[in-house]
Amino acid sequence: MDITMTDSGSSSSRQGQVQVHFITNSPDVELPEGKRQLLVPTNVRRYGLSQILNSESMLDTPAPIPFDFLINGTFLRTTLEEYLTANGLSSETTLNLQYVRSLIPPLYEASFEHDDWVSCVDILSRSSVAGIWDGSEVVPGQERILSGSYDGLLRVWNKSGQSIATSASSSAGGHTSSIKSARFISPTQIASSGLDRTIRVWKYTEAEDHFSAELKPILELYGHKGSIDSIDVHGPSNRILSASADGTIGLWTTLKKSAPSAPAELLTSGPSAKRRKIATSTSTPQRGPLSTIKSHTSPVAAAIFNPLDATIAYSASQDHTARTFDLTTSSLVDTRTTSHPLLALTALPGISSQLLAAGTSARHITLLDPRISAQSTQVMTLRGHTNKIVSIAPDPESNYGLVSGSHDGTCRVWDLRSSRYGTKDEGGGLVGEAVYVVERESAKGGKRPVGGEGIKVFGVQWNKDVGIVSGGEDKMVQVNRGRGVTRPDTT
Amino acid sequence: MAPTTIDRKRKAVTRDVPETSDAESEAEFGDGLLEGILSQSEDSDDGSDEGSEDEEEEDNELDEIETLNSDEIPSDDLESEGEETNDGLKKSNGTKANLLPELVSPSSLEEDKPNYTITTDANGGERYVYGEIDPVYDSDDSDAPGTTNTIGNIPLTFYDSYPHIGYDINGKKIMRPAKGEALDALLDSIDVPNGWTGLTDPATGKPLNLSQDELEILRRIQTNELPEEGYDPYPATVEYFTGIEEIMPLSAAPEPKRRFLPSKHEARRIMKIVRAIREGRILPYRPPQEQEEQEEEIHYDIWQDEQSRPDNIMNVPAPKMLPPGYDLSYNPPPEYLPTKAEKQTWESTDPEDRERDYLPTGYDSLRKVPGYEKFVKERFERSLDLYLAPRVRKNRLNIDPASLLPKLPRPEELKPFPTVCSTLFRGHEGRARSLAIDPSGIWLASGGDDGTVRVWELLTGRQIWSAKIGDGEAVNIVRWRPGKDAVILSAAAGEDIYLLVPPVTDPETDASSRELLDAGFGYATNATQALTANGARKDPAAKWTRPGSRLEDEGVLIKITVRTTVKVISWHRRGDFFSTVSPTAQKSAVAIHTLSKHLTQIPFRRLPGIPQTVQFHPSRPLFFVATQRTIRSYDLQKQELVKIIQPGARWISSFDIHPGGDNLIVGSYDRRLLWHDLDLSTRPYKTMRFHSKAIRAVKYHKGGFPLFADASDDGSLQIFHGKVVSDMMENATIVPVKVLKGHKVKSALGVMDVDWHPREPWLVSAGADGTCRLWM
Repeated sequence: MDITMTDSGSSSSRQGQVQVHFITNSPDVELPEGKRQLLVPTNVRRYGLSQILNSESMLDTPAPIPFDFLINGTFLRTTLEEYLTANGLSSETTLNLQYVRSLIPPLYEASFEHDDWVSCVDILSRSSVAGIWDGSEVVPGQERILSGSYDGLLRVWNKSGQSIATSASSSAGGHTSSIKSARFISPTQIASSGLDRTIRVWKYTEAEDHFSAELKPILELYGHKGSIDSIDVHGPSNRILSASADGTIGLWTTLKKSAPSAPAELLTSGPSAKRRKIATSTSTPQRGPLSTIKSHTSPVAAAIFNPLDATIAYSASQDHTARTFDLTTSSLVDTRTTSHPLLALTALPGISSQLLAAGTSARHITLLDPRISAQSTQVMTLRGHTNKIVSIAPDPESNYGLVSGSHDGTCRVWDLRSSRYGTKDEGGGLVGEAVYVVERESAKGGKRPVGGEGIKVFGVQWNKDVGIVSGGEDKMVQVNRGRGVTRPDTT
Repeated sequence: MAPTTIDRKRKAVTRDVPETSDAESEAEFGDGLLEGILSQSEDSDDGSDEGSEDEEEEDNELDEIETLNSDEIPSDDLESEGEETNDGLKKSNGTKANLLPELVSPSSLEEDKPNYTITTDANGGERYVYGEIDPVYDSDDSDAPGTTNTIGNIPLTFYDSYPHIGYDINGKKIMRPAKGEALDALLDSIDVPNGWTGLTDPATGKPLNLSQDELEILRRIQTNELPEEGYDPYPATVEYFTGIEEIMPLSAAPEPKRRFLPSKHEARRIMKIVRAIREGRILPYRPPQEQEEQEEEIHYDIWQDEQSRPDNIMNVPAPKMLPPGYDLSYNPPPEYLPTKAEKQTWESTDPEDRERDYLPTGYDSLRKVPGYEKFVKERFERSLDLYLAPRVRKNRLNIDPASLLPKLPRPEELKPFPTVCSTLFRGHEGRARSLAIDPSGIWLASGGDDGTVRVWELLTGRQIWSAKIGDGEAVNIVRWRPGKDAVILSAAAGEDIYLLVPPVTDPETDASSRELLDAGFGYATNATQALTANGARKDPAAKWTRPGSRLEDEGVLIKITVRTTVKVISWHRRGDFFSTVSPTAQKSAVAIHTLSKHLTQIPFRRLPGIPQTVQFHPSRPLFFVATQRTIRSYDLQKQELVKIIQPGARWISSFDIHPGGDNLIVGSYDRRLLWHDLDLSTRPYKTMRFHSKAIRAVKYHKGGFPLFADASDDGSLQIFHGKVVSDMMENATIVPVKVLKGHKVKSALGVMDVDWHPREPWLVSAGADGTCRLWM
């Protein structure tokens, strides 16, 4: 059954028409069998096609769902006519249009100012991992943004940009040096790590009015000899996984009782540290690691739990390898060697073959298949950044999306379905390109400085309820959120 | 019939009457008596009956005459002819009878006596018997215009369309005279008189005609005879001896015997010829015709002897002008016409650079072609060119520039190497003079003109720690102590060398580092001091002290004071020794410090030249000292000079030893970068001069990548791929792969120092603009 859309304007009568076949991978928005073939005017863009799909005769959705359209793995960004012309196709061919829920352009929403560089961000919301582990304690509208800064302070923000809580300074039991990584373990517990080679666990208690809160250090974890650049947490098992610049991976517990005692030689540092320690009035319990795994030969940039199985950990290191560990036995399972130092790592669990996305110093993201049975180490390469990629977060709503933060001062949103085969210079293989580029609001419009000076992005997170949150050298936590869903696509 | 009539008529005119008798007239008229009449009445095609009747009548009359004068039968036809004509005339006009002899024959005028005799006829009447007419030539008037055209006084053009031109008196058609060849021949024979030359005799003013004698002479000359008249070329032979046996011979001697014998002499000559013929020396006669024919066809090539003259710069022939082609036509075929783009490029190029100095233009007709405005100029220039132009032969080198380049791998194949600036380290006020990445590859230390030593996080560019060690003096050099067991940074500001432990490490390493530094206290005081000749204590080469509590709190633990400003620190790979260079010092320019004993030694009493920099060999106990022009390597164990390397640079700024230990790169202030193979020669294996300003620092990558870099005052860094093969036979391949630009040049200083990451192909550079940069 063919339906000719004649109500799209009088211009359609003059324009050509092309037969399209709508397909999708999402069963909830699948079209009935008879409605998949359609004759549409060739002058429509993504927005027009999305309107057609949302119309009464098609999906008849109560609220319009913005769709994006993929033809042969490429997002449609022009009119159908221009696509046909660019690819040398006749208008008599049937186009297979795969429609996916649209990636809403991440529009700038807010910036929260810091005193120093923001090294990391995390989000507590109903849909964040900490919120999911905890059940439904997080009330919508009470989402929290956690940021760690190079001044050694943790800050917790509400969505309107008010700083609810700030961690204690070094004299009051806080970090003695820059914070490099911080995570919500649960809505009441936060873990942070930094250049002072410690992981600190904080108790986070909010006041009744939700406009003030307290951050109280409850545990100091010693065991690494280098800066702890990245931590990952697993709330249900109270585990913390840390990656340190000394080349080791540490597994910790947040429970005071079950944690082993801290190694004594790491507690007392030099004279200056000693003096600082004397000045510290509070006494926080100090504990050691459950285990440290020394496998990497270079600084470990990131270590993460397998999102589906907390006994498996993945790590990425500057020694060019991504490794898989079995945490129960603290043993190395697998090593995947790439050709560049890896600086960031995240897991994409939704895809049938679980993928790891690793940011490299060579300005691209490598997608790795961590399974031992996998033949090729690199599945895909995402190119577009112009500097080191130091932070990656998965798309909370799509199995195929991810966002990356780079020292070039941008966050880029990627869709793995949009790919092409790389040229010889790029080393072949599948190459993806960014769907959206999120610039730093502080340096918008200006010329990008050399080396990303002043605008480097150090940490990025993506949450369904909050959006894309990124922090960087501009001392800002920047929130970007898709808005204007039904607006025509301006690209 | 027609040709014969024409022939006959012409003959009649030319008066060759007697020859004209032919078979036809003979057949018709019997004897040739009537030929004269025939020839005149013959113009009519068909013979008229009247004429023939007349003739018959005349015949009859003649018969009568003949019968009368049988004795006087005319011997000549002509005579009878003339007579008969006269007879006819007399009959038609009797009164003329007397006049006739006078008119017709002058010979008859000689005789005054009457031409007739009077006899009596049979009737008794008088009968005039006329005498025989002397038939002289002129007496015949048969050439008188017998046939007159009777058409009257009208233009002959009236008859143009007819084959005839009129009618004779008999009413017969007078046919049109012949034209063409016959007429030409007639005119030739008639018009030009003999001896006519067409010239005018200047002496008389009359036409110059040749006389008969002169014509005869000419004729003889033309016929190849002797012009002289009387000469007989073929006179009759006068026989002096005859074969006739004379009756009375002059000599009565008998015939000699030799008259009867064959001549031996001749026989001999003949035999000689015969022999020659047999032997083939004399060839049979060959007719000379072929040669003659060949000779006729010979075409002489006047340039056949022309030899190409050797190339000489003074002998360059003028170029020949090309023959015109289609494009020079006033209306060339369309493919020769220039397109609009070609026209535009032709017009935009300089006249001297144009490939041709005209533009083909098409006109649809020749009359539309305008005057060629450049004609005079062009001719003038061509003349000038031919006449004056000094011609120099240009030897154009048709060498593909690509073939001259050495076969080197493409830089893309030599990846990885640093390509872009990845991190900027901004913080130093004034120049950043020196920098170094720590052995773990996480920290970057830098020292600058502001007297501070700073430690940065390498990847993020975050300044972690800073200490001000030089009071108003620049930090000239910072170097990390090699080895991962301790984190010790050495820096030099002015005469002081500082050993620092920046608080970036864990307490364990921090403690071990401090321990290592403090271990030497006490050694120096226990050591026996060297005494001078007069017994006084010799001043120690350096003083090892604590720098004071302020600096100690910051992590600066030891201060070593030497006599003059220290410019270079170089660590031994084990981390126990380091060497410093103070170029301005006379004797103690190079000092070797022992960390574990807090001991300073001056190894060289005297150095040939001002020392610039020193290096420890990466694996052997060798020590390299670079003076301004040479690099000397000393064996520290044997305490002897091993080798003198002469890079040929005027002022060496820095050098570095390949981690393999057999190669050396040298940078010099005179812009040269030199690669030395220590096994090969004391001279450089390769000299590279790519910078426009002095080279300040050179460094090999020590972590496994075949890379080295140099830093120059022109603000750029150059990255080279320098692969050293363990095979002794193969030389190192050196490929420049990248120029890194970014540092700004400030007061003629660009990049001051350069260092490599210990593992990755990452480079850091310190610039005079106060920034340090990480390139990856």
